[in-house]
Amino acid sequence: MEGVERRAFKQAVFAVRDEQAALDIVQDAMLRLAEKYGDRPAAELPLLFHRIVQNAIRDWYRRQKVRSLWTTLLSSLSPGRGEDEDQDPLETLQAADASNAQDMPGAQLEQAQVLEIIEQELTKLPARQREAFIMRYWDELDVAQTAQVMGCSEGSVKTHCSRATHALAAALKARGITL
Amino acid sequence: MNELHFASRIRQILNQGSVDAKVAQRLQAARELALSRQRPEPQPVLRWADNVLGDGWSWGGLSARVILPVVALAVAAVGIYRWQESQRLAEVVEIDSQLLTDDLPIDAYLDRGFQNWLKKRAADE
Repeated sequence: MEGVERRAFKQAVFAVRDEQAALDIVQDAMLRLAEKYGDRPAAELPLLFHRIVQNAIRDWYRRQKVRSLWTTLLSSLSPGRGEDEDQDPLETLQAADASNAQDMPGAQLEQAQVLEIIEQELTKLPARQREAFIMRYWDELDVAQTAQVMGCSEGSVKTHCSRATHALAAALKARGITL
Repeated sequence: MNELHFASRIRQILNQGSVDAKVAQRLQAARELALSRQRPEPQPVLRWADNVLGDGWSWGGLSARVILPVVALAVAAVGIYRWQESQRLAEVVEIDSQLLTDDLPIDAYLDRGFQNWLKKRAADE
């Protein structure tokens, strides 16, 4: 479960770009899984958990949409608000990681940088492509399971995965990384 | 590059990453909270029924939880009926065996109802 929850957390971070919101999403998903599906056979739980996390991320987006509508309305009434909106959360992530850089040996540092770049590029992928790619290749669900969680056809999953792979490969190549 | 090969390289790199201690702590706390609120396991009989019938087994909202008690009630009703039948049969068998072994008192042969019927029939004729 520990690996699953870490991946779920990362997936939520890629999607919502906010660690606190991602933690809330994963926590809510765990509670919902335990309270509603705690009596299900253990084999079903990972798939259910993925589905709950995906739904929670979508709910978060919906809430954000409503909130941003109100924020826009309010900020138009009170000037001076909303200055931080252009701030990219990735910049703060980079800054935080850079502070640790001097403690790391060369190979490890390079690996950490590659990981960071991959995470950044995953964040930039369209949501459905990212979901499909992560579930299929990081969570190692098969095509049918991924389709079930995403609520789409197996063909769509394959298309999303293929597009995500090509986009990611191109982005990494552009940043000088070959795997 | 092959999609699967590329994806497996990405997976290896992503697996090497870790979350910071604060996040790990909060995830662990969330997991413990979730486990403390976990829904209890169903009763063995119901769980067995769930396994046999599967989750998709519902007739317009009738789940195993509804069907099983109804079936249990029907089985109990049939059981009680059969038991009463066997009790009645045992009584008849007992009387018959006493009749055959001459263990019955003499009064048992005196069927007053039959005597009355005979008298009445004779009077009618």
